[in-house]
Amino acid sequence: MLTDEERQKFAAIADVLIPSAEGMPSASEAAVPEKWLDEALRHRPDLTAGLRAALTAAGDLPPAEAVDVLNSEHIPAFEALGTLAAGAYFLNPEVKQLIGYPGQVPTVPRDDTDTYFDLLENVLERGQVYRDVPTAGPDA
Amino acid sequence: MMINHSLDLPDVADVLVVGAGASGSVAVKALAESGFSVVCLEQGDWTPPSAFAGDKPEWELVKQKQWHPNPNVRGGASDYPVDTSESDVNPLMYSGVGGSTILYAAHWTRFLPSDFKVKTMDGIADDWPFDYAELQPFYERMDREVGVSGLGDNPAYPPGAGYPLPPLPIGKIGRKAAEGMDKLGWHWWPGANSIPSREYRHRPSCLRYGTCLTGCPAGAKSSTDLTHWPDALEAGAKLVTGARVREITVDDQGLATGAVYLDRNGIERRQKASVVILAGNGIGTPRLLQLSTSNLFPDGLANSSGLVGKNLMMHPYGAVVGTYEDPLDSWLGPAGQSIESMEFYETDTSRGFVRGAKWNVMPSGGPLGMRSGYGGRPVDESWGVNFHRNVKANLGRSFEWGIIAEDLPDESNRVVLDPSLTDSDGIPAPKLIYTSSETPSKLIDFHDERAREAHEAAGAITTSTTRLMRDCGWHLLGTARMGNDPATSVIDQWGRSHDVANLYVIDGSAFVTSSGVNPTATIMALALRSVEHLIATRRDQVVSSPSAAH
Ligand SMILES: Cc1cc2nc3c(=O)[nH]c(=O)nc-3n(C[C@H](O)[C@H](O)[C@H](O)COP(=O)(O)OP(=O)(O)OC[C@H]3O[C@@H](n4cnc5c(N)ncnc54)[C@H](O)[C@@H]3O)c2cc1C
Ligand code: SF4
Repeated sequence: MLTDEERQKFAAIADVLIPSAEGMPSASEAAVPEKWLDEALRHRPDLTAGLRAALTAAGDLPPAEAVDVLNSEHIPAFEALGTLAAGAYFLNPEVKQLIGYPGQVPTVPRDDTDTYFDLLENVLERGQVYRDVPTAGPDA
Repeated sequence: MMINHSLDLPDVADVLVVGAGASGSVAVKALAESGFSVVCLEQGDWTPPSAFAGDKPEWELVKQKQWHPNPNVRGGASDYPVDTSESDVNPLMYSGVGGSTILYAAHWTRFLPSDFKVKTMDGIADDWPFDYAELQPFYERMDREVGVSGLGDNPAYPPGAGYPLPPLPIGKIGRKAAEGMDKLGWHWWPGANSIPSREYRHRPSCLRYGTCLTGCPAGAKSSTDLTHWPDALEAGAKLVTGARVREITVDDQGLATGAVYLDRNGIERRQKASVVILAGNGIGTPRLLQLSTSNLFPDGLANSSGLVGKNLMMHPYGAVVGTYEDPLDSWLGPAGQSIESMEFYETDTSRGFVRGAKWNVMPSGGPLGMRSGYGGRPVDESWGVNFHRNVKANLGRSFEWGIIAEDLPDESNRVVLDPSLTDSDGIPAPKLIYTSSETPSKLIDFHDERAREAHEAAGAITTSTTRLMRDCGWHLLGTARMGNDPATSVIDQWGRSHDVANLYVIDGSAFVTSSGVNPTATIMALALRSVEHLIATRRDQVVSSPSAAH
């Protein structure tokens, strides 16, 4: 579990990475720091160490500066933090709805050959695209 | 001396198979159904469809770790590590019942006739010891065994039997890509996939989750735990999971006598057998042969040619992603190939290189990013306002033309035993020494450029090219190659070792050349051909006599 201080620091950095813009909520507005980060960490406990390393490296820098420092000097730690921020954001069903992503939902395959048979006829008209080979080549 | 105490295993099996993946499954089923007593040793375990994350919200997070195809990233209990410090490409695989078919994308593609005759046709590498017509009936039988969905009469292939199932939907991405190919007058065809488009032999139809590369949660995709193992077990085959083989044992005459393995309690056990078949894949098999040293075979088993582990081919993979204005629902499966193209597959020397590549259209997945290996953007390109803009522009609106470049055999590309790295049982791990040579480099540049044109003709707003993905070692081939001459090959055309008359190799290691297509249809057809020959010639099979065995 993260301490309150770590969580606040993460929230500030996550809001630089995922701000409120383009009709989308920021990371904090989407409950990433309180709720979805924990869910993401539950699935990716291996990222905990990288996240902590990033927060330590960020020190008391203002969040935007911290992002620049992390991106240039602490790449693996920044990747862990970035994966968690984005991964947690997209776990939020409201975010999924806003971006129009239904998630991986079962969809029965429908035969769609009728949508392309016209194009396929042209392929057939152009004919064979493989080379014939001599029937008895030398052995390996 | 170790004894078998589980499962009711025979003291001496007729045949021992190492590895329960694509090729091992074919062999075990065919042998058990022909009345042989068969024991299969597999280091991994069963992976039930419910274990896969494809139908769960966390899918995109766990696919980058727990379900990553690179065993070094995944680090599963069944996996062995691979030293890749001297390799341009990471090997990808899965350890368990079904082997790497658990994670494969199920593109089901045959070699072309010219692929068996590379030397004759293009003056390089070697010919295979047989031709396309010889393998065609095995391809057709394997199509039915696994349940392939596709459309017949593809002008990229000689005529033959159609597929047992109608094609899967090509979707909006396939239709869009096809429009571009049509404008350019280039070949394309609905992709053939080993994924059932409707219920097939107790398996449900695909449900288009699009998560095939991390395992199929519907239990639809034709992985061999589902297509072969139920029948094999029914026919009496014995499967020992969690059995990591560390050595193939031999007698004083140099004949194989069985294998020594470690179970998951770390206890060393031995399984004796009259015939041993290796199906551990293009890395696992040479590793095991190299581990099996003895007075008679100081350089490793079956290695009088010195070629065990050499000629590793992994198919450099290029990808060109196009982004489009229209919504294309490009997270929908299968993934899987929507459409394929063989327009630039055959040699055209005016391009400045020989050989070619198959292309395939694949969906681009969810918002967290396609697959590993595509990242690496500067901070303000990927974050801040652009984080949202990128999602809006790309999600559901982009797809990939993937390019499988033919890799040529080169002895300096090889698998060796690592001097210090070991697996969790203390067995030396393999190390890869592999650089992508000049021909595939030129080839990829040419194909990337053409794929970009294909996207543009289809109306793409932007394209981005990944020249060579590091995480692209899906296809592990060539490291115990077949041929007629024992000086230049490890096994004969039936998979039998030139040196050890009762030892066979039937996995991707057997390949003489790699082709420019996904190899598993060929691996499985070839395994069937080899094992049926073994069955047909059982009376002539030389085996270790009890007095010669240790
Ligand atoms: C992510 C991914 C996508 C792919 N997509 C495609 C595709 O679309 N089309 C295609 O044609 N191919 C694809 N492939 C490749 C395909 O999966 C392989 O070609 C095929 O599975 C290889 O078959 P094999 O029998 O050689 O080995 P595998 O299927 O890898 O099986 C080898 C088995 O041997 C076991 N083993 C190894 N060593 C030992 C030991 N010492 N003791 C006990 N057991 C051992 C392993 O645990 C494993 O289960 C893909 C592969 C991956 C990883
Ligand atoms: S697309 Fe089909 S085969 Fe692939 S994972 Fe989904 S249900 Fe399985």
